[in-house]
Amino acid sequence: MNFICNFPFFSILLSLFSGTICSVLPAKAAKIVNRVVIIVIGLMSAVLLLYLLSTGESFIYWMGHFPAPWGNEIRAGVLEAGMALFFCIIMYLSMAGGAHKLPGEVVESKHNLYYILVNLLLSSLLALVYTNDMFTAYVFVEINTISACGLIMIRQVGRTIEAAVRYMIMSLLGSGLLLFGLCIMYDLTGHLLMSNIKESVGLIMANGEYQIPLIVSVALMCIGLCIKSALFPFHAWLPDAYGYSTVSSAAILSSLVSKGYIFLLIKIIYRVIGFDIFNSTRIIDVLFVFGLMGMIFGSLSAIKENDIRRMIAFSSVAQIGYIYMGFGMGTQAGMVASIFHILSHAATKSLLFIAAIGLTDVSGGSRKFADLTGAAYRNKWAGAAFTVGSLSMVGIPLFSGFISKLLFAQAAVQVEGKMLASLIVLGISTVLNAVYFMKTVIRIYTSKADTPYTSITFRDRKAYTVTLVCFILLNIILGVSSQPVVDMIGQGLAMFA
Amino acid sequence: MYFILLPIFFPILAGLFLLIHYRTPLSGEKKNAGRKSLLLLTGCFLVITAVFVVIALFCEGEGFILFYLTKDLPIYFRIDNVGRLFSALAVIVIPCAGFFSFEYMKHEEREGRYYGFYLLVFGVLNALCFSGNLITFYLFFELLTMSSMPLVLHSGSKEAVMAGLKYLFYSLCGAYAALFGIYFLYRNCDSLTFTVDGALRASAITEHGTFLLAVAFIMLLGFGVKAGMFPMHAWLPTAHPVAPAPASAVLSALIVKAGVLAVIRVLGMFGRDFLKGTWVQTAWLCLTLITVFMGSLLAYREPVLKKRLAYSTVSQLSYILFGLAVMDETAFVGSFLHILAHGFIKAALFLCAGAIIYKTGKTRVEEMRGIGKEMPVTMWCFTIASLGLIGIPPTGGFLSKWYLALGSLNSGIPVFDVLGPVILLVSALLTAGYLLPLSIHGFFPGAAYDYGSLRKREPCKLMTVPISILTALSVLVGIFPHLIIAVIHMAAAGR
Amino acid sequence: MIVTVILIPFIAGILVPAIPFQKRWQKEVFLETAVVLNSILVWYLLLHHSDSTFLLAHFTGNLNISFRVDGMSMVFAGLVSALWPFATLYAFEYMTKEEHENVFFLFYTLTYGVTLGIALAANLLTMYFFYELLTLVTVPLVMHTLTREAVLASRKYLYYSLGGAAFAFLGLIMVIVYGSTTDFILGGVLDPAKTVGKTNVLLLIYVMAFMGFGIKAAVCPFNSWLPQAGVAPTPVTALLHAVAVVKSGAFAIIRLTYYSFGTDFLKGTWAQYAVMSVVMFTIVYGCSRAVKETHLKRRLAYSTISNLSYILFGAVIMTPLGLVGALTHLVFHAVMKISSFFCAGAVMHQTDRHYVHELNGLGYKMPRVFGIFTISALALMGVPGLAGFVSKWNLAGAAVESGNPLAWGGIACLLVSALLTAIYMLTIVVRAFFPGKDFDYSTISDIRDPNWKMLLPLFVFTVFIILFGVYSQPVVGFFMSVATGAV
Repeated sequence: MNFICNFPFFSILLSLFSGTICSVLPAKAAKIVNRVVIIVIGLMSAVLLLYLLSTGESFIYWMGHFPAPWGNEIRAGVLEAGMALFFCIIMYLSMAGGAHKLPGEVVESKHNLYYILVNLLLSSLLALVYTNDMFTAYVFVEINTISACGLIMIRQVGRTIEAAVRYMIMSLLGSGLLLFGLCIMYDLTGHLLMSNIKESVGLIMANGEYQIPLIVSVALMCIGLCIKSALFPFHAWLPDAYGYSTVSSAAILSSLVSKGYIFLLIKIIYRVIGFDIFNSTRIIDVLFVFGLMGMIFGSLSAIKENDIRRMIAFSSVAQIGYIYMGFGMGTQAGMVASIFHILSHAATKSLLFIAAIGLTDVSGGSRKFADLTGAAYRNKWAGAAFTVGSLSMVGIPLFSGFISKLLFAQAAVQVEGKMLASLIVLGISTVLNAVYFMKTVIRIYTSKADTPYTSITFRDRKAYTVTLVCFILLNIILGVSSQPVVDMIGQGLAMFA
Repeated sequence: MYFILLPIFFPILAGLFLLIHYRTPLSGEKKNAGRKSLLLLTGCFLVITAVFVVIALFCEGEGFILFYLTKDLPIYFRIDNVGRLFSALAVIVIPCAGFFSFEYMKHEEREGRYYGFYLLVFGVLNALCFSGNLITFYLFFELLTMSSMPLVLHSGSKEAVMAGLKYLFYSLCGAYAALFGIYFLYRNCDSLTFTVDGALRASAITEHGTFLLAVAFIMLLGFGVKAGMFPMHAWLPTAHPVAPAPASAVLSALIVKAGVLAVIRVLGMFGRDFLKGTWVQTAWLCLTLITVFMGSLLAYREPVLKKRLAYSTVSQLSYILFGLAVMDETAFVGSFLHILAHGFIKAALFLCAGAIIYKTGKTRVEEMRGIGKEMPVTMWCFTIASLGLIGIPPTGGFLSKWYLALGSLNSGIPVFDVLGPVILLVSALLTAGYLLPLSIHGFFPGAAYDYGSLRKREPCKLMTVPISILTALSVLVGIFPHLIIAVIHMAAAGR
Repeated sequence: MIVTVILIPFIAGILVPAIPFQKRWQKEVFLETAVVLNSILVWYLLLHHSDSTFLLAHFTGNLNISFRVDGMSMVFAGLVSALWPFATLYAFEYMTKEEHENVFFLFYTLTYGVTLGIALAANLLTMYFFYELLTLVTVPLVMHTLTREAVLASRKYLYYSLGGAAFAFLGLIMVIVYGSTTDFILGGVLDPAKTVGKTNVLLLIYVMAFMGFGIKAAVCPFNSWLPQAGVAPTPVTALLHAVAVVKSGAFAIIRLTYYSFGTDFLKGTWAQYAVMSVVMFTIVYGCSRAVKETHLKRRLAYSTISNLSYILFGAVIMTPLGLVGALTHLVFHAVMKISSFFCAGAVMHQTDRHYVHELNGLGYKMPRVFGIFTISALALMGVPGLAGFVSKWNLAGAAVESGNPLAWGGIACLLVSALLTAIYMLTIVVRAFFPGKDFDYSTISDIRDPNWKMLLPLFVFTVFIILFGVYSQPVVGFFMSVATGAV
């Protein structure tokens, strides 16, 4: 076993421990530790990714060299490593972009708590990505929930507490359902390791026994994860949670946390149930329909919104709908599109959140559109970044959003019954996206002659601006040279099977 | 042959020159001098053009292509006898009315503009006569509308502007309907060059016969607008009276005839054999007869003299169209004679009306009691012309109506062969009814007339001479028709 | 080489705000030189084109950004590059009264590059890319004055255009999936083996994509952005909203119809009838609205709506002759409409009058402008001997020849529209030259024709209107060879 194969385990552990360490460090040091850890993990993931690409095979890592069924396994393939790397990048950029706001948003004494939570969150995300064990997955889902709640709540304003409670309740409901599903699954198969479950599921399907409990269990797991990732009818918790938490939290929550769950769902689909078996159930149709509805209703809610951050939050609902639509197509191409959209949406949405804060900063902290008039002239970089994000969301070529749209549409064409529905909804949703994002863009570029607010230039906020530039670059890279990424996703999915 | 470009483009260029040179209104001291030079120029231009036209009338030849609009779409000029007859009419009426205007327009503003467009109309009319194919014809047909519209709205009053626009839109409406047909003709004919016995390909007739009939009907209706055919006649009684009298004369005598010329050409393109006996002919006959009757009736009820004359034009033009619709050689001769006779008569009548307005300012018929005593020459001409229009021998009007009725009776079309002449007669009665009272009351004002206040108000020679010439010609057409009829027969044969 | 002509405007545009020009004339000289140079380059390129495709970048999968000069691109690129220098010249004069000149010229020049990109694109994806880009770079131009009206207009413009692109995108997908390539090939690229049994879906998507691209070409019911966008400075309305932007829509539809889906696939289907009906309705609708409109520029904008549908009408006849008609009107209408818009702009610039009823008597004070306006009005109506007649002739000829009864009805629409055109254009002319008896000339005593920078473009356009009218054969012949694939 190559030394590199330890990296997944190391990264989970590193972030877990750094969280603990942070609790005793002063805020400043915690911040540095946090950054360093993210960078190190990112590097490790990158190395791992290169290694996996060169070998072309995934590997399974036995924790403590105990083989199944006693030991706990970690599995790493191209997709996992890529995801981990990507999560680190977004995490880093989000933290960097929101750093300057932290002192204003969180009381001084809670700063290291904040970093603890971030580290914990990262570790749970990594675990969700890498684990090959359902129960471990469940455990980290819970850790994830708790740290996310903490991140929402830490601002300690009235609405954030309410939002956190809401989030908590919904999330726990979700993880409860996941647990139920897991129990039934364990009952049926007698295994907790994904690869073993898959074998048994295959047998069950072949025998024709226990079909219904199996499907119920799958459905429960799916619904649980859908709730947690805010698929359309279960999205009520989302706008407040994203809208009122600290900037970095909002960016991370929207772009990473929900994506972690979705990634888990993908793993369940591929590694636990089996892609073909999953597709033969009616669950994908349900996912498909809810995905489509999410695309429309999320955008409609966003159009009505008069608060820039809540608008972006609602837009997330729509984007999650895209992802589930891809699942619902039940084809490899659809899945690739969904995974690409996970990446592209993560990159874009965090960019939008970070840019939005730059705009509100120069508008007296108000998030109302009326006050944002002309904000892009007062903070040029934030304005440009917000524009890029919006264009990407609308799906203008050159930016990542276009590629995901392209992939979705191409995938949709190949699915006989769902083609027209998905294409038309795709079109309508683009129009709706255009409506609210372009409205905002025009708003921030409409100058008001007498504005009471001061401007911010590059010199005032170097770190922030650099972050924005990185985000923009990331977006364009995804948009222009998407082929390697798409290939990688395809390769990773092939490794799943 | 290239000589025929001269009567077309010389007046057009001359008109443009006047328009540009006299674009600002003359005023103050320079007004008189400026006016003199303007009249001199216009007079010269008119005479020169007339000379050109007369020379062109005697040109013989195959015609020539000036240039191609697009591939297969030549601008083609040619002289044939139909064109000759029309242009002979024009070359007499336009200079007459032009010299008449020298006096009539004395007190109007912006004379330069008036004469400019007047010359333009002259050139365009010549071009219409000498056009050798449908597309050339259409080009100048549109230009005719454009260049004559300013004559209608010359006075600039609100009423005149509205009338001008009405004229414009009706004309364009008709022109576009015709264009619709041209598009289809173009595809179904080998070329758009005028002929008299049908240019449609035999295969086209078998394949799209029904549709082509509809196309023919649309084209007839479209060009019929210009000729004031019911139901698109409404522009005529609005536009003609508001124009200055000489312009009305030209409008009524010539410009509306462009519609008739167009109809003749279209008939030739489709060929009489193709249209004879079809629903198109029946419908067309109906429309013309309705127009004949309705026009006369409306004229009879109309108190304003110029308007009355305009309604009369509506009615008389449909005489011509009726003759064409019958599609019979004799009726065709009648139509042509009526074109000439009506051209001279109506021009004379309008000029008389203009002279009356100019001298007395009276426009309504009932005000003109005793006018014959004041302006005897004018009223004598008016009376003779009226008789011609009613159709009393030996005037041209009699002869033309005779041929029309004869042709109709010969044609053998059921119902219409008799109905036509009957309506023509009724209409003639009405014509007498609306024209003669003017003469009667003019010369015999009755006992109540105050002879004490009688003044001689005869206009100057510049007005009376053109009127007399036109009146005389209208009679001469009836007395010496042989040459004309010979030419008409040649025209009917396509030479 | 091909990329250069797209890049030069980009660079020149960006340099305008970047270089601190001392004097205004320096900037003018700089810009004009760049634009003229670029136009010369474009023409050089078009005249010496090779058939090779220039691949700029791989996008994803088998999609790439590449450029090529073929017949259609020659027409559109030639048109755009011929008009741009004049429009720029005109803009210099016009913009003396407006603010934020630099920003204006930045985007104005960028648009040049983007439009060329659309024209020279070798495949559907590249065209789609530049199409979206075009929307973005022109929004600041519409927003230019930053009044509330302008903001609303630009917002609407954005929604419509991006929304349209979203549906056009579906067409792109269909071509990617069911076509053998996305490159433009006359006759279409759909692979018959793949489309078996999917005809109706493809047709439906075609209609959607047609409407999507059609939004830029202001097809009814998606036309309301165009008159509203008239709040932009006149050079923009004239060049972009009469030529570059809206014609890009028409151009894209032609590409989609003739070069991607292919006429064989579409001809005679319900899709053809559907789009043709829409187009015919738009022809009449645009004109009727123009008659009702009293604001000069908006009236012209409605006229543009109707005339754009002439082009589309030619395109949806789906025969080579139809394409010839469409191309003829594409080019000729550009010249006519830009000329009339520039006249309107000259009036606004010289007199600050915006409504038709304010134009009384101006014909005597601005004889050159209104003389030219009259000529372009006559040309738009389709008086023979001027450019408009030739294009209408070609359109109607194609319609007759196609034997499609609906297309025959379309001819009627064309003629009704011509009549309405006469109404809305000639009423202006009559007002200007025949103000009426009791008109007080002292109210317009200090108005005069604009200077040469405005007049030169107008004269040039007028010369072309007449030239195309009397001698169109080489141009139309060239269109013919484009439509039959000989170029």
